[in-house]
Amino acid sequence: MVEVEFKKEELSLIRDAIINSIKTRVEKFGFKGAVINLSGGVDSSLVLKLTYMALGSKRTHALILPEEGITSEKDLKDAEGLCKELKINYEIIPINKPLDSFKETLSFIKGDLKWGIANLKPRIRMIYAYFYANAKKLLVVGTSNKTELLLGYGTKYGDLGADIYPIGDLYKTQVWQLAEFISIPTDIVKKTPSAGLWKGQTDEEELGYTYYQIDRVLYCLVDLELSVRETAKILKIKENAVKDLYERIIRNEHKRRTPTITKISRMCLDKDWRYPVERF
Amino acid sequence: MREIKVLIAQLSTKLGDVRGNEKKILKAIEMAKREKVHLLLTPELSTLGYGSGDIYLDKVNENLESLERIKKEIDNFYAIIGYVEKDEYGFFYNSACLIHKGKITGNYRKVQLVNYRLFDEKRYFKRGTKLPVFDIGKAKIGILICEDVWFPEPSRAMALRGADVLIVLGASPFERGKKEIWEDFLTQRARDNILPLLFCDQAGCQDGVTYLGYSMYVSASGNVVKTAKLLEEDYFIVNVDLEEAKRLRRRDTRLRELHRDILEELLKAYEEMENGGSGI
Repeated sequence: MVEVEFKKEELSLIRDAIINSIKTRVEKFGFKGAVINLSGGVDSSLVLKLTYMALGSKRTHALILPEEGITSEKDLKDAEGLCKELKINYEIIPINKPLDSFKETLSFIKGDLKWGIANLKPRIRMIYAYFYANAKKLLVVGTSNKTELLLGYGTKYGDLGADIYPIGDLYKTQVWQLAEFISIPTDIVKKTPSAGLWKGQTDEEELGYTYYQIDRVLYCLVDLELSVRETAKILKIKENAVKDLYERIIRNEHKRRTPTITKISRMCLDKDWRYPVERF
Repeated sequence: MREIKVLIAQLSTKLGDVRGNEKKILKAIEMAKREKVHLLLTPELSTLGYGSGDIYLDKVNENLESLERIKKEIDNFYAIIGYVEKDEYGFFYNSACLIHKGKITGNYRKVQLVNYRLFDEKRYFKRGTKLPVFDIGKAKIGILICEDVWFPEPSRAMALRGADVLIVLGASPFERGKKEIWEDFLTQRARDNILPLLFCDQAGCQDGVTYLGYSMYVSASGNVVKTAKLLEEDYFIVNVDLEEAKRLRRRDTRLRELHRDILEELLKAYEEMENGGSGI
Protein backbone atom coordinates (compact mmCIF):
# COMPACT_ATOMS: atom_id res chain seq x y z
CA MET A 1 0.00 0.00 0.00
CA VAL A 2 1.49 3.29 -1.09
CA GLU A 3 0.46 6.16 1.14
CA VAL A 4 1.46 9.63 0.09
CA GLU A 5 -0.67 11.24 2.77
CA PHE A 6 0.86 12.43 6.02
CA LYS A 7 -0.03 10.76 9.24
CA LYS A 8 -2.09 13.07 11.43
CA GLU A 9 0.64 13.37 14.04
CA GLU A 10 3.14 14.58 11.44
CA LEU A 11 1.17 17.64 10.38
CA SER A 12 2.05 20.06 13.16
CA LEU A 13 5.77 19.45 12.72
CA ILE A 14 5.56 19.95 8.96
CA ARG A 15 3.58 23.15 9.47
CA ASP A 16 6.21 24.42 11.94
CA ALA A 17 9.14 23.59 9.65
CA ILE A 18 7.52 25.61 6.84
CA ILE A 19 6.67 28.53 9.11
CA ASN A 20 10.26 28.58 10.42
CA SER A 21 11.71 28.63 6.93
CA ILE A 22 9.61 31.62 5.84
CA LYS A 23 10.38 33.54 9.00
CA THR A 24 14.13 32.87 8.80
CA ARG A 25 14.39 34.04 5.19
CA VAL A 26 12.45 37.25 5.79
CA GLU A 27 14.46 38.11 8.88
CA LYS A 28 17.83 37.09 7.45
CA PHE A 29 17.56 39.55 4.57
CA GLY A 30 15.81 42.23 6.57
CA PHE A 31 12.62 42.16 4.49
CA LYS A 32 9.65 43.99 5.95
CA GLY A 33 7.38 41.11 5.13
CA ALA A 34 6.28 38.88 2.27
CA VAL A 35 3.92 38.99 -0.69
CA ILE A 36 1.98 36.14 -2.26
CA ASN A 37 0.02 36.09 -5.50
CA LEU A 38 -3.30 34.76 -4.32
CA SER A 39 -5.57 33.01 -6.80
CA GLY A 40 -8.22 31.65 -4.49
CA GLY A 41 -6.91 28.14 -5.07
CA VAL A 42 -5.61 25.83 -2.39
CA ASP A 43 -1.84 26.24 -2.96
CA SER A 44 -1.68 30.01 -2.70
CA SER A 45 -4.24 30.04 0.12
CA LEU A 46 -2.13 27.55 2.09
CA VAL A 47 1.06 29.53 1.46
CA LEU A 48 -0.68 32.75 2.43
CA LYS A 49 -1.87 31.36 5.72
CA LEU A 50 1.50 29.78 6.54
CA THR A 51 3.17 33.12 5.81
CA TYR A 52 0.64 34.85 8.00
CA MET A 53 1.42 32.32 10.76
CA ALA A 54 5.14 33.05 10.33
CA LEU A 55 4.99 36.84 10.09
CA GLY A 56 1.62 38.01 11.39
CA SER A 57 -1.05 39.99 9.55
CA LYS A 58 0.86 43.29 9.24
CA ARG A 59 3.83 41.77 7.45
CA THR A 60 1.77 39.55 5.13
CA HIS A 61 0.61 40.91 1.78
CA ALA A 62 -1.47 39.34 -0.97
CA LEU A 63 -1.98 40.38 -4.56
CA ILE A 64 -5.18 39.17 -6.18
CA LEU A 65 -4.63 39.44 -9.91
CA PRO A 66 -7.71 38.26 -11.79
CA GLU A 67 -8.14 38.17 -15.51
CA GLU A 68 -11.58 39.58 -16.01
CA GLY A 69 -13.67 37.25 -18.11
CA ILE A 70 -11.53 34.24 -17.22
CA THR A 71 -11.05 34.23 -13.44
CA SER A 72 -14.21 33.00 -11.75
CA GLU A 73 -16.18 35.17 -9.33
CA LYS A 74 -15.90 32.34 -6.85
CA ASP A 75 -12.07 32.39 -6.92
CA LEU A 76 -12.05 36.15 -6.48
CA LYS A 77 -14.51 35.97 -3.61
CA ASP A 78 -12.60 33.15 -1.87
CA ALA A 79 -9.27 34.98 -2.22
CA GLU A 80 -10.65 38.22 -0.86
CA GLY A 81 -12.50 36.39 1.89
CA LEU A 82 -9.29 34.78 3.12
CA CYS A 83 -7.45 38.13 3.18
CA LYS A 84 -10.26 39.66 5.19
CA GLU A 85 -10.38 36.72 7.57
CA LEU A 86 -6.63 36.98 8.24
CA LYS A 87 -6.75 40.79 8.26
CA ILE A 88 -3.77 40.99 5.92
CA ASN A 89 -2.93 43.70 3.38
CA TYR A 90 -4.21 43.01 -0.13
CA GLU A 91 -4.78 44.60 -3.50
CA ILE A 92 -6.99 43.49 -6.36
CA ILE A 93 -5.50 44.39 -9.75
CA PRO A 94 -6.99 42.92 -12.95
CA ILE A 95 -4.30 41.94 -15.46
CA ASN A 96 -6.41 42.55 -18.58
CA LYS A 97 -4.78 45.85 -19.58
CA PRO A 98 -1.16 44.69 -19.67
CA LEU A 99 -2.27 41.39 -21.16
CA ASP A 100 -4.15 43.11 -23.98
CA SER A 101 -1.25 45.44 -24.54
CA PHE A 102 1.18 42.52 -24.85
CA LYS A 103 -1.17 40.67 -27.18
CA GLU A 104 -1.58 43.74 -29.35
CA THR A 105 2.11 44.54 -29.63
CA LEU A 106 3.01 40.88 -30.21
CA SER A 107 0.29 40.14 -32.74
CA PHE A 108 2.64 40.51 -35.71
CA ILE A 109 4.60 37.48 -34.56
CA LYS A 110 3.72 34.44 -36.66
CA GLY A 111 3.51 30.96 -35.21
CA ASP A 112 1.65 29.09 -32.52
CA LEU A 113 0.81 31.78 -29.96
CA LYS A 114 -1.37 29.67 -27.66
CA TRP A 115 1.30 28.79 -25.10
CA GLY A 116 3.10 32.08 -25.32
CA ILE A 117 -0.12 33.87 -24.49
CA ALA A 118 -1.09 31.40 -21.77
CA ASN A 119 2.32 31.93 -20.19
CA LEU A 120 2.01 35.70 -20.41
CA LYS A 121 -0.58 35.61 -17.65
CA PRO A 122 1.53 34.11 -14.85
CA ARG A 123 4.47 36.17 -16.09
CA ILE A 124 2.49 39.38 -15.77
CA ARG A 125 1.45 38.30 -12.29
CA MET A 126 5.10 37.67 -11.41
CA ILE A 127 5.99 41.19 -12.57
CA TYR A 128 3.30 42.63 -10.32
CA ALA A 129 4.53 40.59 -7.35
CA TYR A 130 8.13 41.76 -7.76
CA PHE A 131 7.06 45.34 -8.40
CA TYR A 132 5.03 45.33 -5.21
CA ALA A 133 7.84 43.54 -3.34
CA ASN A 134 10.42 46.12 -4.47
CA ALA A 135 8.14 48.98 -3.47
CA LYS A 136 7.55 47.63 0.00
CA LYS A 137 10.76 45.64 0.61
CA LEU A 138 9.04 42.26 0.67
CA LEU A 139 10.00 38.69 -0.10
CA VAL A 140 8.08 37.02 -2.96
CA VAL A 141 6.78 33.69 -1.74
CA GLY A 142 6.12 31.09 -4.43
CA THR A 143 3.25 28.65 -4.32
CA SER A 144 4.54 25.74 -6.42
CA ASN A 145 4.16 22.28 -4.95
CA LYS A 146 6.21 19.11 -5.48
CA THR A 147 3.76 17.63 -8.00
CA GLU A 148 3.99 20.74 -10.18
CA LEU A 149 7.75 21.05 -9.80
CA LEU A 150 8.28 17.44 -10.81
CA LEU A 151 5.97 17.61 -13.81
CA GLY A 152 7.15 21.06 -14.84
CA TYR A 153 3.57 22.21 -14.47
CA GLY A 154 4.37 25.86 -14.03
CA THR A 155 5.59 28.81 -16.05
CA LYS A 156 9.27 29.67 -15.94
CA TYR A 157 9.60 33.24 -14.67
CA GLY A 158 5.87 33.17 -14.19
CA ASP A 159 4.35 31.39 -11.20
CA LEU A 160 7.74 29.65 -10.82
CA GLY A 161 9.36 33.05 -10.38
CA ALA A 162 9.69 33.54 -6.63
CA ASP A 163 12.26 33.74 -3.85
CA ILE A 164 11.25 30.65 -1.90
CA TYR A 165 8.98 27.63 -2.38
CA PRO A 166 7.73 26.79 1.12
CA ILE A 167 5.41 24.02 -0.11
CA GLY A 168 7.76 22.80 -2.84
CA ASP A 169 8.35 19.51 -1.01
CA LEU A 170 4.63 18.75 -0.59
CA TYR A 171 2.65 16.76 -3.13
CA LYS A 172 -0.76 18.12 -4.09
CA THR A 173 -2.54 15.55 -1.93
CA GLN A 174 -0.36 16.63 1.00
CA VAL A 175 -1.15 20.27 0.24
CA TRP A 176 -4.85 19.46 0.64
CA GLN A 177 -4.14 17.73 3.94
CA LEU A 178 -2.07 20.55 5.39
CA ALA A 179 -4.59 23.14 4.15
CA GLU A 180 -7.34 21.30 5.95
CA PHE A 181 -5.16 20.98 9.05
CA ILE A 182 -4.54 24.72 9.31
CA SER A 183 -8.22 25.47 8.66
CA ILE A 184 -8.20 26.87 5.15
CA PRO A 185 -11.91 27.29 4.29
CA THR A 186 -13.41 24.03 3.01
CA ASP A 187 -14.65 25.75 -0.15
CA ILE A 188 -11.06 26.44 -1.14
CA VAL A 189 -9.71 23.03 -0.18
CA LYS A 190 -12.42 21.15 -2.05
CA LYS A 191 -12.25 23.31 -5.16
CA THR A 192 -11.35 21.65 -8.49
CA PRO A 193 -7.71 22.60 -9.14
CA SER A 194 -7.14 24.95 -12.07
CA ALA A 195 -4.22 27.04 -13.26
CA GLY A 196 -6.82 29.48 -14.56
CA LEU A 197 -5.15 29.79 -17.94
CA TRP A 198 -8.42 29.67 -19.86
CA LYS A 199 -12.06 29.38 -18.98
CA GLY A 200 -13.12 25.99 -17.67
CA GLN A 201 -9.53 24.69 -17.56
CA THR A 202 -8.83 22.05 -14.92
CA ASP A 203 -5.39 20.72 -14.00
CA GLU A 204 -6.44 17.11 -13.94
CA GLU A 205 -7.95 17.26 -17.43
CA GLU A 206 -4.87 18.96 -18.76
CA LEU A 207 -2.46 16.58 -17.06
CA GLY A 208 -4.50 13.58 -18.12
CA TYR A 209 -4.65 11.97 -14.67
CA THR A 210 -6.10 12.82 -11.28
CA TYR A 211 -3.77 14.30 -8.67
CA TYR A 212 -4.40 11.24 -6.52
CA GLN A 213 -3.07 9.00 -9.31
CA ILE A 214 -0.20 11.30 -10.23
CA ASP A 215 1.01 11.76 -6.67
CA ARG A 216 1.12 8.04 -6.01
CA VAL A 217 3.22 7.52 -9.13
CA LEU A 218 5.56 10.41 -8.32
CA TYR A 219 5.90 9.29 -4.72
CA CYS A 220 6.96 5.81 -5.89
CA LEU A 221 9.41 7.12 -8.48
CA VAL A 222 10.96 9.91 -6.43
CA ASP A 223 10.52 9.25 -2.73
CA LEU A 224 10.60 5.45 -2.81
CA GLU A 225 13.08 5.44 -5.71
CA LEU A 226 11.25 2.64 -7.53
CA SER A 227 11.70 1.99 -11.24
CA VAL A 228 8.95 2.61 -13.80
CA ARG A 229 8.22 -1.11 -13.93
CA GLU A 230 8.14 -1.53 -10.15
CA THR A 231 5.88 1.51 -9.80
CA ALA A 232 3.42 0.20 -12.39
CA LYS A 233 3.37 -3.16 -10.64
CA ILE A 234 2.90 -1.89 -7.12
CA LEU A 235 0.16 0.58 -8.13
CA LYS A 236 -1.45 -1.89 -10.55
CA ILE A 237 -1.48 0.59 -13.43
CA LYS A 238 -0.20 0.55 -17.00
CA GLU A 239 3.55 0.88 -17.42
CA ASN A 240 3.07 3.41 -20.22
CA ALA A 241 1.23 5.80 -17.92
CA VAL A 242 4.10 5.67 -15.41
CA LYS A 243 6.66 6.06 -18.20
CA ASP A 244 4.81 9.12 -19.42
CA LEU A 245 5.08 10.80 -16.00
CA TYR A 246 8.67 9.65 -15.52
CA GLU A 247 9.67 11.27 -18.80
CA ARG A 248 7.97 14.47 -17.76
CA ILE A 249 10.07 14.55 -14.59
CA ILE A 250 13.29 14.12 -16.57
CA ARG A 251 12.32 16.59 -19.29
CA ASN A 252 11.54 19.32 -16.78
CA GLU A 253 14.72 19.30 -14.71
CA HIS A 254 15.54 22.71 -16.22
CA LYS A 255 12.49 24.25 -14.57
CA ARG A 256 13.86 23.33 -11.16
CA ARG A 257 17.26 24.93 -11.77
CA THR A 258 18.79 28.28 -12.40
CA PRO A 259 19.98 28.58 -16.03
CA THR A 260 22.94 26.30 -16.73
CA ILE A 261 26.24 28.16 -16.80
CA THR A 262 28.92 27.10 -19.31
CA LYS A 263 31.99 26.27 -17.29
CA ILE A 264 35.13 28.18 -18.22
CA SER A 265 36.91 29.02 -14.98
CA ARG A 266 37.95 26.76 -12.10
CA MET A 267 35.14 28.26 -10.07
CA CYS A 268 31.95 27.98 -12.11
CA LEU A 269 29.18 29.46 -10.03
CA ASP A 270 26.52 26.78 -10.47
CA LYS A 271 28.95 23.86 -10.30
CA ASP A 272 32.05 24.44 -8.21
CA TRP A 273 30.92 27.20 -5.89
CA ARG A 274 28.74 26.00 -3.05
CA TYR A 275 27.44 28.56 -0.62
CA PRO A 276 24.15 28.67 1.24
CA VAL A 277 21.78 31.49 0.33
CA GLU A 278 21.03 32.30 3.94
CA ARG A 279 24.64 32.80 4.97
CA PHE A 280 25.79 35.31 7.54
CA MET B 1 23.54 7.92 43.80
CA ARG B 2 26.47 8.59 41.50
CA GLU B 3 25.37 10.98 38.79
CA ILE B 4 26.54 13.92 36.72
CA LYS B 5 24.62 17.07 35.99
CA VAL B 6 24.70 17.98 32.31
CA LEU B 7 23.41 20.98 30.37
CA ILE B 8 22.42 20.20 26.80
CA ALA B 9 22.38 23.40 24.73
CA GLN B 10 20.27 22.68 21.67
CA LEU B 11 21.35 25.76 19.77
CA SER B 12 19.92 27.26 16.65
CA THR B 13 23.22 28.30 15.11
CA LYS B 14 23.47 30.49 12.01
CA LEU B 15 25.42 29.54 8.90
CA GLY B 16 28.87 31.11 9.02
CA ASP B 17 27.89 33.53 11.78
CA VAL B 18 30.89 32.85 14.01
CA ARG B 19 30.31 35.86 16.29
CA GLY B 20 26.60 35.22 16.66
CA ASN B 21 27.13 31.53 17.35
CA GLU B 22 29.83 32.41 19.87
CA LYS B 23 27.34 34.60 21.71
CA LYS B 24 24.95 31.67 21.93
CA ILE B 25 27.67 29.34 23.19
CA LEU B 26 28.76 31.93 25.78
CA LYS B 27 25.18 32.25 26.94
CA ALA B 28 25.08 28.48 27.40
CA ILE B 29 28.35 28.69 29.37
CA GLU B 30 26.81 31.33 31.65
CA MET B 31 23.86 29.04 32.23
CA ALA B 32 26.19 26.09 32.91
CA LYS B 33 27.98 28.15 35.58
CA ARG B 34 24.74 29.36 37.12
CA GLU B 35 23.29 25.87 37.26
CA LYS B 36 26.58 24.41 38.48
CA VAL B 37 26.58 21.61 35.93
CA HIS B 38 29.50 19.26 35.52
CA LEU B 39 29.29 19.08 31.73
CA LEU B 40 27.98 21.31 28.94
CA LEU B 41 27.24 20.09 25.41
CA THR B 42 26.79 22.09 22.19
CA PRO B 43 25.77 20.66 18.78
CA GLU B 44 28.01 19.45 15.95
CA LEU B 45 30.02 22.27 14.30
CA SER B 46 28.32 24.79 16.54
CA THR B 47 30.88 27.57 16.00
CA LEU B 48 30.11 27.75 12.28
CA GLY B 49 26.68 26.16 12.02
CA TYR B 50 25.99 22.92 10.19
CA GLY B 51 25.25 23.26 6.47
CA SER B 52 27.62 26.17 5.89
CA GLY B 53 28.96 24.82 2.59
CA ASP B 54 32.15 26.45 1.36
CA ILE B 55 32.04 28.87 4.30
CA TYR B 56 33.76 26.09 6.25
CA LEU B 57 36.81 26.69 4.06
CA ASP B 58 36.69 30.46 4.43
CA LYS B 59 36.10 30.81 8.13
CA VAL B 60 38.15 28.08 9.75
CA ASN B 61 40.57 30.53 11.33
CA GLU B 62 37.74 32.72 12.54
CA ASN B 63 36.16 29.65 14.14
CA LEU B 64 39.45 28.76 15.84
CA GLU B 65 39.84 32.28 17.20
CA SER B 66 36.31 32.06 18.51
CA LEU B 67 37.13 28.78 20.21
CA GLU B 68 40.06 30.49 21.94
CA ARG B 69 37.69 33.08 23.41
CA ILE B 70 35.13 30.43 24.36
CA LYS B 71 37.82 28.33 26.05
CA LYS B 72 38.71 31.11 28.50
CA GLU B 73 35.16 31.24 29.83
CA ILE B 74 35.07 27.61 30.86
CA ASP B 75 36.24 27.23 34.43
CA ASN B 76 35.63 24.35 36.80
CA PHE B 77 33.24 22.38 34.68
CA TYR B 78 33.71 20.54 31.39
CA ALA B 79 32.36 21.58 27.99
CA ILE B 80 32.22 19.78 24.66
CA ILE B 81 32.10 22.18 21.73
CA GLY B 82 31.57 21.19 18.09
CA TYR B 83 33.96 23.09 15.78
CA VAL B 84 36.12 22.86 12.66
CA GLU B 85 39.63 21.70 13.50
CA LYS B 86 42.67 22.44 11.34
CA ASP B 87 45.72 20.18 11.59
CA GLU B 88 49.36 20.97 10.94
CA TYR B 89 49.01 19.94 7.28
CA GLY B 90 46.13 22.37 6.80
CA PHE B 91 43.45 19.65 6.67
CA PHE B 92 40.08 20.19 8.32
CA TYR B 93 38.08 17.91 10.59
CA ASN B 94 34.53 17.91 11.87
CA SER B 95 35.62 17.80 15.51
CA ALA B 96 34.50 18.19 19.10
CA CYS B 97 36.83 19.39 21.79
CA LEU B 98 36.65 18.84 25.49
CA ILE B 99 37.49 21.94 27.49
CA HIS B 100 38.19 22.22 31.19
CA LYS B 101 39.62 25.11 33.23
CA GLY B 102 40.34 27.14 30.10
CA LYS B 103 42.26 24.35 28.39
CA ILE B 104 41.49 21.80 25.70
CA THR B 105 41.87 18.48 27.47
CA GLY B 106 40.61 16.26 24.69
CA ASN B 107 39.68 16.27 21.04
CA TYR B 108 37.57 13.95 18.90
CA ARG B 109 37.35 13.85 15.11
CA LYS B 110 34.20 12.54 13.43
CA VAL B 111 34.97 9.12 11.97
CA GLN B 112 31.91 8.56 9.78
CA LEU B 113 31.67 11.53 7.45
CA VAL B 114 28.36 11.80 5.60
CA ASN B 115 28.22 12.26 1.86
CA TYR B 116 24.82 11.16 0.63
CA ARG B 117 21.83 13.22 -0.46
CA LEU B 118 22.18 16.76 0.93
CA PHE B 119 25.33 15.91 2.90
CA ASP B 120 28.72 16.86 1.55
CA GLU B 121 31.18 16.50 4.43
CA LYS B 122 33.97 14.84 2.46
CA ARG B 123 34.21 17.99 0.35
CA TYR B 124 35.56 19.76 3.43
CA PHE B 125 36.72 17.35 6.07
CA LYS B 126 39.21 14.58 6.64
CA ARG B 127 37.86 11.77 8.77
CA GLY B 128 39.11 10.88 12.21
CA THR B 129 40.41 7.40 12.95
CA LYS B 130 40.58 7.30 16.73
CA LEU B 131 37.90 6.24 19.20
CA PRO B 132 39.18 7.40 22.58
CA VAL B 133 37.45 7.93 25.90
CA PHE B 134 38.01 11.04 27.99
CA ASP B 135 38.16 11.54 31.71
CA ILE B 136 35.89 14.25 33.06
CA GLY B 137 36.60 13.61 36.71
CA LYS B 138 33.36 12.02 37.78
CA ALA B 139 33.16 9.76 34.73
CA LYS B 140 34.76 8.57 31.53
CA ILE B 141 33.00 9.65 28.38
CA GLY B 142 33.01 8.67 24.73
CA ILE B 143 32.24 11.42 22.23
CA LEU B 144 30.53 10.66 18.92
CA ILE B 145 29.44 13.04 16.18
CA CYS B 146 26.09 12.44 14.51
CA GLU B 147 26.55 9.70 11.87
CA ASP B 148 29.11 7.99 14.13
CA VAL B 149 26.23 6.70 16.22
CA TRP B 150 24.40 5.24 13.21
CA PHE B 151 27.13 2.60 13.17
CA PRO B 152 27.45 0.11 16.02
CA GLU B 153 31.27 -0.01 16.01
CA PRO B 154 32.50 3.41 17.24
CA SER B 155 30.43 3.46 20.41
CA ARG B 156 31.30 -0.18 21.02
CA ALA B 157 35.02 0.65 21.05
CA MET B 158 34.34 3.41 23.56
CA ALA B 159 32.32 1.07 25.74
CA LEU B 160 35.18 -1.42 25.70
CA ARG B 161 37.54 1.40 26.68
CA GLY B 162 35.50 1.93 29.80
CA ALA B 163 33.19 4.82 28.91
CA ASP B 164 30.51 5.52 31.53
CA VAL B 165 28.47 7.77 29.26
CA LEU B 166 28.14 8.17 25.49
CA ILE B 167 27.90 11.74 24.22
CA VAL B 168 26.52 12.40 20.74
CA LEU B 169 26.72 15.84 19.12
CA GLY B 170 24.47 16.18 16.10
CA ALA B 171 23.02 18.44 13.43
CA SER B 172 20.22 16.42 11.95
CA PRO B 173 18.08 17.86 9.14
CA PHE B 174 14.39 17.35 9.82
CA GLU B 175 12.46 15.18 7.40
CA ARG B 176 9.51 12.80 7.69
CA GLY B 177 10.30 9.93 10.03
CA LYS B 178 13.58 11.40 11.29
CA LYS B 179 12.42 11.68 14.89
CA GLU B 180 11.69 7.97 15.02
CA ILE B 181 14.99 7.10 13.31
CA TRP B 182 16.93 8.97 15.98
CA GLU B 183 14.95 7.39 18.77
CA ASP B 184 15.74 3.97 17.31
CA PHE B 185 19.45 4.55 16.79
CA LEU B 186 20.05 6.23 20.13
CA THR B 187 18.12 3.77 22.24
CA GLN B 188 19.75 0.90 20.36
CA ARG B 189 23.27 2.22 20.98
CA ALA B 190 22.50 2.68 24.67
CA ARG B 191 21.21 -0.90 24.77
CA ASP B 192 24.10 -2.29 22.71
CA ASN B 193 26.63 -0.95 25.15
CA ILE B 194 24.54 -0.84 28.32
CA LEU B 195 25.43 2.81 28.75
CA PRO B 196 23.54 6.06 29.25
CA LEU B 197 23.62 8.33 26.21
CA LEU B 198 23.20 12.08 25.73
CA PHE B 199 22.31 13.59 22.37
CA CYS B 200 22.78 17.31 21.69
CA ASP B 201 21.32 18.34 18.35
CA GLN B 202 21.11 21.55 16.32
CA ALA B 203 17.75 23.31 15.95
CA GLY B 204 16.33 26.12 13.84
CA CYS B 205 15.94 26.55 10.11
CA GLN B 206 18.19 27.93 7.41
CA ASP B 207 18.34 27.63 3.64
CA GLY B 208 15.13 25.64 3.73
CA VAL B 209 16.57 22.99 6.04
CA THR B 210 15.05 22.71 9.49
CA TYR B 211 17.12 20.93 12.11
CA LEU B 212 15.36 18.37 14.21
CA GLY B 213 16.34 19.42 17.72
CA TYR B 214 14.94 16.66 19.89
CA SER B 215 18.11 16.30 21.95
CA MET B 216 17.68 13.58 24.51
CA TYR B 217 18.86 11.60 27.47
CA VAL B 218 18.60 7.84 27.04
CA SER B 219 19.17 5.64 30.07
CA ALA B 220 21.51 2.64 30.10
CA SER B 221 18.44 0.42 29.82
CA GLY B 222 17.57 2.15 26.55
CA ASN B 223 14.66 4.27 27.70
CA VAL B 224 14.19 7.83 26.51
CA VAL B 225 14.20 9.71 29.82
CA LYS B 226 13.96 13.30 28.62
CA THR B 227 13.77 15.07 25.29
CA ALA B 228 14.19 18.69 24.21
CA LYS B 229 11.79 20.55 21.93
CA LEU B 230 11.46 19.62 18.31
CA LEU B 231 12.86 22.13 15.77
CA GLU B 232 13.37 24.99 18.25
CA GLU B 233 16.29 26.16 20.32
CA ASP B 234 16.11 24.66 23.79
CA TYR B 235 18.27 24.12 26.84
CA PHE B 236 17.82 21.30 29.26
CA ILE B 237 19.53 19.91 32.29
CA VAL B 238 19.69 16.24 33.16
CA ASN B 239 21.17 14.27 35.98
CA VAL B 240 22.73 11.27 34.33
CA ASP B 241 22.60 8.09 36.37
CA LEU B 242 26.04 6.47 36.31
CA GLU B 243 25.08 3.50 38.45
CA GLU B 244 22.35 1.95 36.37
CA ALA B 245 24.81 0.63 33.78
CA LYS B 246 26.86 -1.14 36.43
CA ARG B 247 23.71 -2.53 38.00
CA LEU B 248 22.43 -3.81 34.66
CA ARG B 249 25.77 -5.35 33.75
CA ARG B 250 25.59 -7.71 36.72
CA ARG B 251 23.17 -9.87 34.79
CA ASP B 252 23.32 -8.40 31.29
CA THR B 253 26.62 -9.97 30.30
CA ARG B 254 26.62 -9.02 26.62
CA LEU B 255 29.57 -6.69 26.80
CA ARG B 256 31.92 -9.20 28.44
CA GLU B 257 30.56 -11.96 26.21
CA LEU B 258 31.96 -10.22 23.14
CA HIS B 259 34.62 -12.56 21.73
CA ARG B 260 37.87 -11.98 19.94
CA ASP B 261 37.10 -14.66 17.32
CA ILE B 262 33.87 -12.86 16.42
CA LEU B 263 35.74 -9.58 16.02
CA GLU B 264 38.38 -11.33 13.91
CA GLU B 265 35.65 -12.80 11.74
CA LEU B 266 34.14 -9.34 11.42
CA LEU B 267 37.48 -7.96 10.26
CA LYS B 268 37.91 -10.82 7.77
CA ALA B 269 34.42 -10.24 6.41
CA TYR B 270 35.17 -6.55 6.11
CA GLU B 271 38.36 -7.26 4.17
CA GLU B 272 36.48 -9.57 1.80
CA MET B 273 33.99 -6.77 1.14
CA GLU B 274 36.78 -4.23 0.71
CA ASN B 275 38.36 -6.49 -1.89
CA GLY B 276 35.16 -6.62 -3.90
CA GLY B 277 33.72 -9.81 -2.44
CA SER B 278 33.84 -13.07 -4.33
CA GLY B 279 33.70 -11.23 -7.66
CA ILE B 280 37.47 -10.79 -7.66
